[in-house]
Amino acid sequence: MAKENAVTKENEMTQEGFDPKILGFFCHWCCYAAADSAGVSRYQYPPNVRVIRVMCTGRIDARFVIEAFRCGADGVFTGG
Amino acid sequence: MCTMYCPRPVVDAYNERLEITRAPHIDYAQAIPSSYYIDAKACLRVNFETCNLCAQTCTAGAIDFSQKPKNLELEVGAVVLTPGFGRVDSSVLEKFGYGKYPDVLTAFEFERLTCASGPTEGHIVRPSDNRPPRKIAFLQCIGSRDETCGNGYCSSVCCMYAIKEASVAKEHEPDLDVSIFFMDVRTQGKGFDDARKRAQEKYGINVIRARVPRVDQVDGRLALTWTTDDGKHHSGIFDMVVLSVGLESPEDAEALSKIADIKLNNYNFCSTRVDSPLSTSRDGVFVAGAFQGPKDIPESVTQASGVAAIASELLAEARNSQTVSITYPEENKALEEQEPRIGIFVCHCGVNIAGVVDVKAVRDYAASLPGVVLYEDPLYSCSQDALKGIAEKIRDNNLNRVVIAACSPRTHEPLFQETLRSVGLNPALVEMANIRDQCAWVHAQEPEAATEKAKDLVRMAAAKARLLTPLEQPTVDVTPGALVLGGGAAGMSAALSIADQGYSVTIVEKSRHLGGNLRRLQWTTDGQDARKVMEDMISSVESHPGIEVLTGSTVEAISGYVGNFTSTVSQGKKNRLINHGVTVIATGAREYKPRSYAYGESTRIVTQLELEEKLARGKSFLKNARNIVMIQCVGSRGDDMSHCSRLCCTQAVKNALKLKELKPDCRIYILYRDMRTYGFHEDAYREAREKGVIFLRYSTDKKPQVIKQARGIKVRAFDRLLGEEIEIPANLVVLSAGIAPGDNQELSKILKAPLTPEGFFLEAHAKLRPVEIAVDGVYLCGLAHGPKSLEESVAQAKAAAAKATIPLAKGKVAVAPIVSHVDQDACIGCGICESLCPFNAIRLSKVGKRKKAQTITASCKGCGICASHCPTIAISMGGFTDQAIMAQIHAFSGRQCDEG
Amino acid sequence: MAKSGAIMVLGGGVAGVQAALDLADLGYYVYIVEKKASIGGVMAQLDKTFPTNDCAL
Repeated sequence: MAKENAVTKENEMTQEGFDPKILGFFCHWCCYAAADSAGVSRYQYPPNVRVIRVMCTGRIDARFVIEAFRCGADGVFTGG
Repeated sequence: MCTMYCPRPVVDAYNERLEITRAPHIDYAQAIPSSYYIDAKACLRVNFETCNLCAQTCTAGAIDFSQKPKNLELEVGAVVLTPGFGRVDSSVLEKFGYGKYPDVLTAFEFERLTCASGPTEGHIVRPSDNRPPRKIAFLQCIGSRDETCGNGYCSSVCCMYAIKEASVAKEHEPDLDVSIFFMDVRTQGKGFDDARKRAQEKYGINVIRARVPRVDQVDGRLALTWTTDDGKHHSGIFDMVVLSVGLESPEDAEALSKIADIKLNNYNFCSTRVDSPLSTSRDGVFVAGAFQGPKDIPESVTQASGVAAIASELLAEARNSQTVSITYPEENKALEEQEPRIGIFVCHCGVNIAGVVDVKAVRDYAASLPGVVLYEDPLYSCSQDALKGIAEKIRDNNLNRVVIAACSPRTHEPLFQETLRSVGLNPALVEMANIRDQCAWVHAQEPEAATEKAKDLVRMAAAKARLLTPLEQPTVDVTPGALVLGGGAAGMSAALSIADQGYSVTIVEKSRHLGGNLRRLQWTTDGQDARKVMEDMISSVESHPGIEVLTGSTVEAISGYVGNFTSTVSQGKKNRLINHGVTVIATGAREYKPRSYAYGESTRIVTQLELEEKLARGKSFLKNARNIVMIQCVGSRGDDMSHCSRLCCTQAVKNALKLKELKPDCRIYILYRDMRTYGFHEDAYREAREKGVIFLRYSTDKKPQVIKQARGIKVRAFDRLLGEEIEIPANLVVLSAGIAPGDNQELSKILKAPLTPEGFFLEAHAKLRPVEIAVDGVYLCGLAHGPKSLEESVAQAKAAAAKATIPLAKGKVAVAPIVSHVDQDACIGCGICESLCPFNAIRLSKVGKRKKAQTITASCKGCGICASHCPTIAISMGGFTDQAIMAQIHAFSGRQCDEG
Repeated sequence: MAKSGAIMVLGGGVAGVQAALDLADLGYYVYIVEKKASIGGVMAQLDKTFPTNDCAL
């Protein structure tokens, strides 16, 4: 990450309007299913997570997490 | 279009007369078949040869008035009758002001009022003034338990649906005051009593025990008067009255009985026997659902599966003789190998997605993504028409990758995979973006952010789609045999059915004899000799060439998966391995051993089953019996166990009638909380009252007391009518001990089969999958599932047999192609994958001089632990390759992220 | 006479549809005969918590 970029990020985080980009790795059997049923029940939550479905959180390679941060994710959510 | 132009209004039957539609219409948007039809009774063209507007306006030219009714002749090997139930005659409802006062509704109408797809979009309003009511009364037993209208039986479902509708109403309008007038609260189904308690506590629904005789109108509101069981009179004013109408036999039951040549019972339902509840009086004609007797959805579904098993037993030799198999065009491998040509379909899902997400904007955004050659926005992409359209577009545009932005792949991916197969594409070449369940539905207040999220999800899906590769669909052969755990009524019925359908069965029974709880029962509720029923069943099982019985045996371990299980059965000292394709749990339950009411202190304090055993040995012990007291809910409904044991009320009434028959001059008291003699058992309850059995209701704060004295036994109970405690010198006390779950913990662990909090096995879906469990290839029936009558156990056993036979009959089970694959050249044989795999699905074996890992496809669940830990990245996962996931991560970032 | 491998199910409510699905899975050809224009019966009229598409063929 470029230094300049990191500084902006820090500024963002101290501001109230911080709108993070979060990448989620959801297990097909539990977290992904739970996210579906949250939808069926119409629970409302902030629209900041983008989801990658995997068959199990065991599939998540450390390289995926590093790559997500390298590509500008503010957070990585693993759910399983 | 046709509905719009038709000049002829008709009452919308789907919305229970609360709305008007036109002669040509569709019942509801998701109806199957999904085409509009013309109500011939109302159509002007059909009846008077005038009009014809609809035929002219139909742009598809789909209306053809020259069609005539046709008679078809079908040759079939069996007939299944599932005509459902009929509605209570309006003359019965008129007594309660229905038809006269607009704010008196049936529960069916009220259901439509609470429904978002109903005429008021879920707003509860009074039909008289379209204003929301403040006080609603539900009247139970309308057209049920009422001999004046000829329906002496209980309809079994109304108590539950009234509570459900009342809860939904309270959810919509929290300030609403809702009262339900019950005679008895009959929520005897599995988990139903808990739901009732929750509804009462959470929503504060008033439960009033009284039968309201009539409804009057006073100043535009509705006046009710009633008498409670303490003899007091009450009255009240309500804004709306909902009649909980019962289920009747179908209108055309008599005609049907003549056509099918079957016998009906005295209420015009199909006549059946307790030991064969799904067979009519005619061979080859079977029955299921409400026509067999009023029942709810899970029981109807259970009987329906059960009836499939019985028909299959009869026709086993003709299996697969008339089925047609779907043939798919050959896979177009050349097209699949070309550069990605992606088609993206962004679904509106009616207003489900389009109401929040700007679907057209997402569609147009999709057009800008690399490799996309087609982008569309179908209204319902899963509808028959849309699927056909998608298939055509794939063909016409030579697409080789498809992205569906719609709902969840968990529910809908197979449907779209099927569409790809139908046009010669590998089913693995479709990717879904979940923009409904995980986007539109959860960000309803933020349409702009939801639209942005949908675009991101579509971009990520398209990035993955570019890298999808065709996958082979592996299948595994099925061992053509079943293992049935438990040799009681349910286990034996299931075993007989599977064996009669042509597959071998092994029964594993813990005790030394077959029979289970049936060994203790003396007579059935329809007056048959229970021991004869049992002996017939045992001899059929023992003489069946396809059934092996292992008594004194238990299962120690079960490994494998649907199609290929291996069980270790311990028979005392020796163990035996059994291979089988499917497993049926029928391990039963036991009579609860009372811990109260002085049980065990006297031989004259017994349980209902002990009474039956005593009676079977002779009636001499009744010689001096003047007073007999039965106490209900011993152990059940919060006494010790939380659940209702469902059959004790009927059993008590059955035994009370038997005692009256043997000794007419004895007085019998039944102390109860709610008499739950549901269905046709209500007849026996009424007969018992007529024969002088005294029923006294008790509440949990004034439970009866049994006092053992030096000479004799005294029972103290509170008489609500007298308002004081009475004392009964009892010669015999019979405790209606409930049904306690068996020792299911161990088996639950062996099978990884979940239990309910009460300790019974948990089904996969309470309503729609009542005999399956969370583990594929394992099925459930009888008391192991929950308390139920012999009749219900037999029906459920047949249902489990049907489900268990399906994989056996197919002979193969498909394995999802998401399994791991090891690149033999890259593998260094380190063994990390083998040590991590939770399913023992990857093993090292010698290839040439070196050890290499190999996947056991049938066991692999595709979790990918092996792939993420392989130090040489030699393992790839079908559909979830490193490259595809990396592409999704890069697409997530939105900006170009160098791949370094 | 050889037995027929076809079965008629009279009524397309939840019981009829479930019976037909299981019979087809067991290897028989099924005719569903329904009076109304669509299958699903009374269950299709019930509130959305019991989704109608669970009844779909």
